[in-house]
Amino acid sequence: MIFFQLLINGLIAGSIYALIASGFSFIYTTNRFVHFAHGSTVTAAAYFFYYLLIYLNLPLWLAIPLTITLTALLGLLTHFTIYLPLKKRKSSGVILLIASLGIMTFVDNFIQMLFGPDVKIINLFNKGAGLTILGAYITPLQIIFISITLLLLLALWLFKKYSQLGKLMQAVADNPDLAKTTGINSINIQHWSFVIGSGIAGLAGILIALENNLEPTMGTTQMVSSFTGAVIGGVNSLIGSVIGSYLVGLLENFGVWFLPSGYKSAIAFVLLFIFLIIRPQGIFGLKKGTRE
Amino acid sequence: MNNMFSAYLTHILIIVVIYIILALSLNLALGFTGLINLGHVAFFGLGAYTSALLNMAGVPFILSMLGGGMVASFFGFLLTKITKKLKGDYLAMATLGFSFVLYSIFLNWTNLTHGPMGIPGIPKPKFFGLAIHDNFTFLIFVIIIACLIYLILKKITNSPYGKLLEGVRDDALGLSALGKNVAKLKSQSLMLSAFFAGIAGSLFAHYISYIDPSTFYLTDLIVIFTITIVGGLGSLKGSIWAGIIIIILPELLRFIDLPSSIIGTMRQMIYAVILIIILLLKPRGLFGRIDLE
Repeated sequence: MIFFQLLINGLIAGSIYALIASGFSFIYTTNRFVHFAHGSTVTAAAYFFYYLLIYLNLPLWLAIPLTITLTALLGLLTHFTIYLPLKKRKSSGVILLIASLGIMTFVDNFIQMLFGPDVKIINLFNKGAGLTILGAYITPLQIIFISITLLLLLALWLFKKYSQLGKLMQAVADNPDLAKTTGINSINIQHWSFVIGSGIAGLAGILIALENNLEPTMGTTQMVSSFTGAVIGGVNSLIGSVIGSYLVGLLENFGVWFLPSGYKSAIAFVLLFIFLIIRPQGIFGLKKGTRE
Repeated sequence: MNNMFSAYLTHILIIVVIYIILALSLNLALGFTGLINLGHVAFFGLGAYTSALLNMAGVPFILSMLGGGMVASFFGFLLTKITKKLKGDYLAMATLGFSFVLYSIFLNWTNLTHGPMGIPGIPKPKFFGLAIHDNFTFLIFVIIIACLIYLILKKITNSPYGKLLEGVRDDALGLSALGKNVAKLKSQSLMLSAFFAGIAGSLFAHYISYIDPSTFYLTDLIVIFTITIVGGLGSLKGSIWAGIIIIILPELLRFIDLPSSIIGTMRQMIYAVILIIILLLKPRGLFGRIDLE
């Protein structure tokens, strides 16, 4: 059944986008600017993982947490060295977005310089042996992929809703100035948002590296679709970003039914544009304070 | 050797002039009128594709070039129409989205654009019975066009109309209270900006004689923004100086013994570093008169 195959492909693509978009939205909510270089963090994660696993021959159980730690540190570093000084100058969100495009260019090219432009492959699992569900083909890795994504998104939601740090983040997101007057160290909270958001990008990078292979442009390419998903669902809403991402994944894959496959990404962009015009805050996003 | 060097220098100078036109045109919208536009690179691409396709279909060069500018300008008009309610972050995201949409059209409308294969064999400019075959003549030609554009922009920005555009940037509310049509001024500024970017696209296409979608994407967007911001917003002189510095500086890498595959990535890294450093240390750039909002 082609329908179920497209559904599964859409869910896999959606999971990738949702993982990236959730970290992106996490950072956006607390910091209120578009950290477009988040995609490059994903690429960096994939190459960290490749380096630790293939070059240094580390076992998987060590390579995974190390990759996530390194990626979280990379996110913290960009916030500390570039975004924070810019914020202290009272730079607008637009300047921070331009700076993030600069960071993206730097990281993507740096990775290409170190590892070359060619595709790298991590052959860890036998991708051949798959299952057939309702006539659709799915590999065990893909099942693990989708499950981990859903579990992580649930954990992230619980964290935001119930943990102390999560609540503080919400306070800073709602009103940074008010949060400051109540004694919350908002800069610290923003640091944490980069650590957690980039950590999720680390996990995303590992999963994508296992599922799709590595290329210096991989993260930025995925970021474009994830960004679309986040905007459609509402950048400042975690649930919205996740639903938007799955929507983009499904639409891109079901789109091939009535359009040539080359238009896969065009579908998402057109949707992005329509939403930015009609409903810039997205499906679930808050209107308050986001359009300034 | 000497000959080779002068051929190389001519090539670099042509590229410098084309990017100066791009930075000047971005400066009109971003610097003078205060319109954030991360879709400028799409206008560059629209001009390149339109001009190349028209010319190869038999339309004379001058008309193809103007056609490129006009199509870009029309899309500039569309962009202002559909984004007129957006501000700040969301406007930035929408214009970035515009770059994505156009890029994916260049990439996917294969019947017209040949997709990722690109369009080879774009003829050199030919007009009034003259054909530009050698690069030196082409250099003279692009310098003439760039001077014309500079003079037009100089005239506009110094005129009362130019002050109105600056009014859009500094105090749009006050301007509309005076009965000026702010939306119209914005769209005129962006249309003109897009027109010149389209002309730059046409010059690029007919000079390189080959275009593909990758030229008109995020990589080049960074270069154009770096030049404009380093030169300074609201300063035409700044865009010119920065264009010369920013394009020529990474060329020095060629004189170090590096493999050519590394030079390309190093060049991009240098642009990115310059952009970030200028934002951090001197956001007004070399000659800027205003801060980037």
